[in-house]
Amino acid sequence: MTKAIDHIVDAIDIETFLFCKSEDEAKQLAESLCIELGLPHGDIVFLEFKAWGARVRLRSYIHHPGDHYRWMESAGEA
Amino acid sequence: MKTVLLAPLDPVHDNAIKLIKRKLTEAGYEAVSMPPGTSPEEVIQKALEIKPSVILVSRTLGYKVAEILSQLVDLADAAGIRDYTRIGVGGMAITKEAGAELGFDGCFVGELKMNELIDFIEDRVTSGEILRSGESVRKKPDITAPYSYKFYDPVIEGYLNQIVEQVLSWVQNKTTKGIERAKIRSEILECENEFIEGNVSSTTRDELLKRYIADCDPEIQAFYQSKQLPTGVRWLEKTEIDRMANLFDTPHAEFVGLQHTNSKPLFFSQYGTGCPIMDIYHIKVAEAWGIDGVFHFDPSWNAQKEGLLQGCLTHEHDGTIITLENLKLIRHYMEPYTLWNVRGHRGLNTPETQILGHAAGADLFKINIPYGSTGGGTDPKRLMVDGIYSLMLAAQFGIPYDIPGNDELSGVPPYKTFAGLLIMMALGLKLGARPIPKPLLCYSPYMTIHGKMDDNMIEMNLAKLAVWRDIVDTPIWPGEPVGFMTHTPDRVQSALQTSLHATLASTMGVDAVTIASSDEAYSKGPISVQARVDTLRAVKDQLRFQGSVKASLTTTAETLKEEIHEKITETLAVVAQRGDLTASIYEGLLGSQEDGLYPGRVGSGTVIE
Repeated sequence: MTKAIDHIVDAIDIETFLFCKSEDEAKQLAESLCIELGLPHGDIVFLEFKAWGARVRLRSYIHHPGDHYRWMESAGEA
Repeated sequence: MKTVLLAPLDPVHDNAIKLIKRKLTEAGYEAVSMPPGTSPEEVIQKALEIKPSVILVSRTLGYKVAEILSQLVDLADAAGIRDYTRIGVGGMAITKEAGAELGFDGCFVGELKMNELIDFIEDRVTSGEILRSGESVRKKPDITAPYSYKFYDPVIEGYLNQIVEQVLSWVQNKTTKGIERAKIRSEILECENEFIEGNVSSTTRDELLKRYIADCDPEIQAFYQSKQLPTGVRWLEKTEIDRMANLFDTPHAEFVGLQHTNSKPLFFSQYGTGCPIMDIYHIKVAEAWGIDGVFHFDPSWNAQKEGLLQGCLTHEHDGTIITLENLKLIRHYMEPYTLWNVRGHRGLNTPETQILGHAAGADLFKINIPYGSTGGGTDPKRLMVDGIYSLMLAAQFGIPYDIPGNDELSGVPPYKTFAGLLIMMALGLKLGARPIPKPLLCYSPYMTIHGKMDDNMIEMNLAKLAVWRDIVDTPIWPGEPVGFMTHTPDRVQSALQTSLHATLASTMGVDAVTIASSDEAYSKGPISVQARVDTLRAVKDQLRFQGSVKASLTTTAETLKEEIHEKITETLAVVAQRGDLTASIYEGLLGSQEDGLYPGRVGSGTVIE
């Protein structure tokens, strides 16, 4: 049985809002969040900090162009 | 006059440099610009020649950015020009971290903010950086101030005068437990002040509370008499309340509104997560991202029981419990300029809610008797008596009240809803209060069913706003929120629809707009903070796109407007002829069962003659 994560075509984005006191803290938290969630090579796509927190969009590529796409392998098996 | 040297360290991109040059020149600086493709050596050579106070360089392309910028800094150090010149950098390829690491004196990322640039040139702390609490330069506007409430349509004015006289005559010698509790609550509040000053005894206060409790439902009585909390409700802990001060009683950057070139409309959003602490956080985020005002939404059971609780209370359901302490806690953390609306038009505690709202510092009330006494709302007779008393309180406190037209969502034709709004306006004006009608900007169910919005969503909404300008000189506040029935749980679609409706209203010169979050159509849980930011960002960008462009009505929109106007007149004529507004609501003259509306039942048979 294939894993759901294998069906992600290219990237997974996480949209959230972090409580923090500075933009630097927001970035550190955002990076830590990717690690805590087990997302490989997490990147901050967008981050806007204002006073009480930061609106962030995090991204982790599950399949890069040129990879062997696991979603294609599972389609072949079917 | 200070000289500023502007140089694009980029082969092609110099638009920002040109824009900054124009704005600095307008601000009285001598701005000298260099062409695209300028090298670091050429910048330093020019700087040695003209000795500028500041050099501003830009870089858009990411290719070799660190190499070029570090070369500029090294050359500037070697030439000794940094003794009299400060160097700033900006552009798409620049991050704050990179600018600081490379040794620049200033780094400008994101949206161009001229005030920040000028502060940098003048070597002063950025005016947008830190404000001490209470130092805000934004002022709290009075939405109603510019309006005379003069009626342009004498026929409509005539019908409204008749209806107002009928209503005020009808309510005479009628009262309710809600009104009596409001009076007692008012005395309790006065007594609290006197008690603190030692002018009254605790016995007087206790006697008042006993009288108050006697007029409450059993569940509320149990709260006061045996400290029994309603199911699912808990006290906020002192440590939770104390921690709020550490979080939000701190200096912060001045927040900028959503408006681009116009000072209006003001933008409002609602809160009511169920928990005052979460509400405060949502409000603070909404303020930081540009909101001008907020609404307090209470739980539906709050409106269906006689009597209100007291203390700082929270629960895990929609709507935040109305108590004086909850309201004061929430108000305490708002920015000084944030307008605050406490609604109370749907329940058995309508007058008392106004008393508490006023005591906690509310700027606006929300009262609509025809809407509040339909659907799942209050019995029309009960709300008529309570609502008129509430209008008198609004007048007494000098607090404007808005009149939402959300009954249209049930399928009521806009002209019937608008007739109700006009009646509420006329009643308030007669009693000395200041109304703000709120025509609904939405995918109107009635108009959709009748094919009036098949082609587009613009003309009908424009007609619904324009008709007001032909009837009366009044502030207009489309709500509630705009874009109702268009939102889906997709955040991009939802934010887009909100921003489109908000700016459509803006092009019509309205005074305020209520906006939703991008969670508007998500019904399985509370609104998230990020969903609030989504629509605030979307509206801000749409306003930037729109600027001061104004809408004009198409022939179709003009026809729709005239139709609505004519039918408003017909509706008011029927209600005036009926001679009894309460009976008119029961009988569906302002929205019938066929339209999708039925009279509310909560509080039926509770009016005291």
